[in-house]
Amino acid sequence: MIKLPNIPESVRERHAAKGWPLALLGSVLLIVSGLLSWSYDPAILGDISISFWPATLQLFAIILGVVGLVLALMHQGPLRGLGDWFDAALGLRALGTGSMVFVIYSLVAIAYEAGGLVNINPGGWVALVGALALWLGGHFLPQRTLHNFAKAKSSPVLEILVIVVLMALVLFGAAYVLGQEDPWVFVGFLIMASVAATALARAGFFTWFGHVAQRNRQVLTLAAFVVAFLFPFTQDGSDANMSIATQVIIFAATAIGLNIVVGLAGLLDLGYIAFLGSGAYVAAMMSNAASATIGFKPPFLIVMLIGASAAAVLGLIIGSPTLRVSGDYLAIVTLAFGEIFRLSMFNLDGNNGPDLTNGPNGIPGIPDLNLFGFDFGKPHEIFGITLGRFSNYYFVLLLLIGFIILVFTRLNNSRIGRGWVAIREDERAAEAMGVNTFALKLFAFAGGAFLAGLAGTIKAHQDTAVSPDQYVFLESAFLLSAVVLGGMGTVAGVLIGATILKLLPEKLRFFSEYRLLIFGLLLVVMMRIRPEGLIASKRRQLEFHDEDEELASEIQQDHLIDASPEAAR
Amino acid sequence: MEIFLQQLVNGLTLGSLYALIAVGYTVVYGIVQLINFAHGEVFMIGAFGALATYLLLFQGQTALWILPIMIIGAMIASVGTAVLMERVAYRPLRNAPRLAPLITAIGISVFLQEFIRLFFDKVPGTDFPSAKAKIPFPQIDVVTGPAFNPMAGVTIQRAAVFTIAMMALSALGLWWFINKTKTGRGMQAVSQDPDTARLMGINVDRIIVAAFAVGAALAAIAGVAQGLQITNINFKMGFIAGLKAFTAAVLGGIGNIQGAVVGGLVLGMAEAMITQYTGMLPDPFGQFGGSSWKDVWAFALLIIVLVFRPQGLLGAKVVDRA
Repeated sequence: MIKLPNIPESVRERHAAKGWPLALLGSVLLIVSGLLSWSYDPAILGDISISFWPATLQLFAIILGVVGLVLALMHQGPLRGLGDWFDAALGLRALGTGSMVFVIYSLVAIAYEAGGLVNINPGGWVALVGALALWLGGHFLPQRTLHNFAKAKSSPVLEILVIVVLMALVLFGAAYVLGQEDPWVFVGFLIMASVAATALARAGFFTWFGHVAQRNRQVLTLAAFVVAFLFPFTQDGSDANMSIATQVIIFAATAIGLNIVVGLAGLLDLGYIAFLGSGAYVAAMMSNAASATIGFKPPFLIVMLIGASAAAVLGLIIGSPTLRVSGDYLAIVTLAFGEIFRLSMFNLDGNNGPDLTNGPNGIPGIPDLNLFGFDFGKPHEIFGITLGRFSNYYFVLLLLIGFIILVFTRLNNSRIGRGWVAIREDERAAEAMGVNTFALKLFAFAGGAFLAGLAGTIKAHQDTAVSPDQYVFLESAFLLSAVVLGGMGTVAGVLIGATILKLLPEKLRFFSEYRLLIFGLLLVVMMRIRPEGLIASKRRQLEFHDEDEELASEIQQDHLIDASPEAAR
Repeated sequence: MEIFLQQLVNGLTLGSLYALIAVGYTVVYGIVQLINFAHGEVFMIGAFGALATYLLLFQGQTALWILPIMIIGAMIASVGTAVLMERVAYRPLRNAPRLAPLITAIGISVFLQEFIRLFFDKVPGTDFPSAKAKIPFPQIDVVTGPAFNPMAGVTIQRAAVFTIAMMALSALGLWWFINKTKTGRGMQAVSQDPDTARLMGINVDRIIVAAFAVGAALAAIAGVAQGLQITNINFKMGFIAGLKAFTAAVLGGIGNIQGAVVGGLVLGMAEAMITQYTGMLPDPFGQFGGSSWKDVWAFALLIIVLVFRPQGLLGAKVVDRA
């Protein structure tokens, strides 16, 4: 975390009146700077040398400026009404700090790419001044007392509109950033996006959005799926990003399954990749691949069920020790199971046991799926846009992850889910209250495994090969970190965690060598600064900060509001 | 009979190695109830520390007197690593939910492996080989060389004798340290009741550091022994060895130091015997013997012990409180 020095309270009070003009000036300067030229060299960073033709970094500066402008006008000006609800001062403070980081990063990028600070045109310096003004302004601004969002009333049309716009932004942003080849620009976008998101979060936008989302859950889910569905059409026939996208989805689907075990039931599983692996191996062994070892080749839908059931049975076996062991011991037991799975797949080659898996070579050459006459290996054309092989798989996987999310949320809000949470918080108390702890824990393992197995069967066909080295412990650690990083017990968190963990290494090839090093460091740092994950469920957050009275009362209030009749409209 | 004796020797050697590493798990667990998942990496770093010492000071020599210095180099590397990771990563999480330190440990483990893999050959002022492949470990007079052959069908590697001897010496030293020194008795006190120990004027933080350091020192010896035995080392060697050693610690009863030694020896023997005698069964069962299945048997043993006797053979000092 980069922390610029904080301004002492006395200084803040003395300059409070200057805060607003400074913030406004900073925002305007950022927008203006985006219209100016940033560098002499047109060859770098997607050409930021032309005035009035903003590209890449300039565009990002304009976006930050617009966010700043809106926040400043909320504090004082035409949008003042909104300022009663949103904390513009806090938002501007975060935005100012973030803009400084972003602009300095941009200047470093230009200097590095073009060779020296002399290559920076006035636009870059204007942006720096703007960011500085924004930072100062944000810190001088006094905070205002706010209303509680829970009591906010906005028209349903507006709420739905906000959801749609936000989702469209996500789609746009994803398509835009995936199209960027330059790692500087890619990282710049990430900085810009996280700065804007942090500023909005600080201003309370996401708290409000959370309430809106709760009220319009179906709309949100639908919008999210429409966006995900539209994504392949933004790729213009290119399959490179779709390949990454399918990997992200498989990873995310498995991680959501793991989230049932870890996030909901609180059972640490370090061998989870074995379930994905067993699904994949079953699909491979029953496929038409030349080296498939089972003669029985049913239709794929049945293979899916068999693979998932095999994984579920494995889950039952792995889960059975939960009757007697818990906590760290359970983690080690599952780790041992995971290793046994990998070693067995490695050994069952005919020499060291019956020939099931072809040993270290695995089963290559698995043919593409063919469902109802639809060949997944061939590109298809829809509305004049070519959808390649990976796009075909993408749609199936989208259905799969939709199903998995549905199962997860339904379970979470059911008697079973509440039982899991009770077990997680205090197993003995749960048992005393009549929760059938052993059955529920077994079900968590088997259910999670079933979902991972489903994903595995598709993965085998999409990868066209299975081999034991795809299912090493490190992969389980990756899955676990997706859950931990994103936030235990939430779907959105896991989706974000999975995206970060799979997408970043793919796009940032230049650090692929240091990928695992950074991954290890990330886990350590994350556990220190935000152990509950990026998007944590409130209850989970409380577990990691049990001395935080404010959070506790907030959660209690939320529950009261949820339970009140007017919220249940 | 020869087969049995041969496997006895093999099991004893393997077991000594496991025991040396297992002590690190058990001492730390006994005091802070933390599975130091990165302990296998401490062992690996010990081996690399010994290698670095050798390459820096004695390249090309094989005299026996080099060995103690290599062991000291190994200990400096591994103890330094262990103390640093306790200070930086574990101490801030001491009162966090138990998931947090475990995940931190996984993070450290990955980090240390990668750190060695990427940067071992980039130490300024040296020409260390790249750690991306296996690196040959130096051969030392007396402890490596032609194997002993006490009777037909039984061979004993010199490095195996070294391993067993170091194990015995370390066990004695550890016994002395735990029971006779002030720090050692402090460790006993903290493992029984940290709060009371603190009230009695024991610096608990320092005791915890000492626990990490003792475990790391023994792991360093194990690292050297492993290097001499296998004749090469690599950055991945800590993972399986660490997991096996943890199995040994649990087998003996985690938190119980004698238990770790006994558990290590039992695990080593069991692994050697099961592998050997399963391989002699008629096919198809015989296919499950041999070295390719030995890890599977060890892990199966771990699961069986955890499920049916989680307190281990000698009884855990600390029952799982999770």
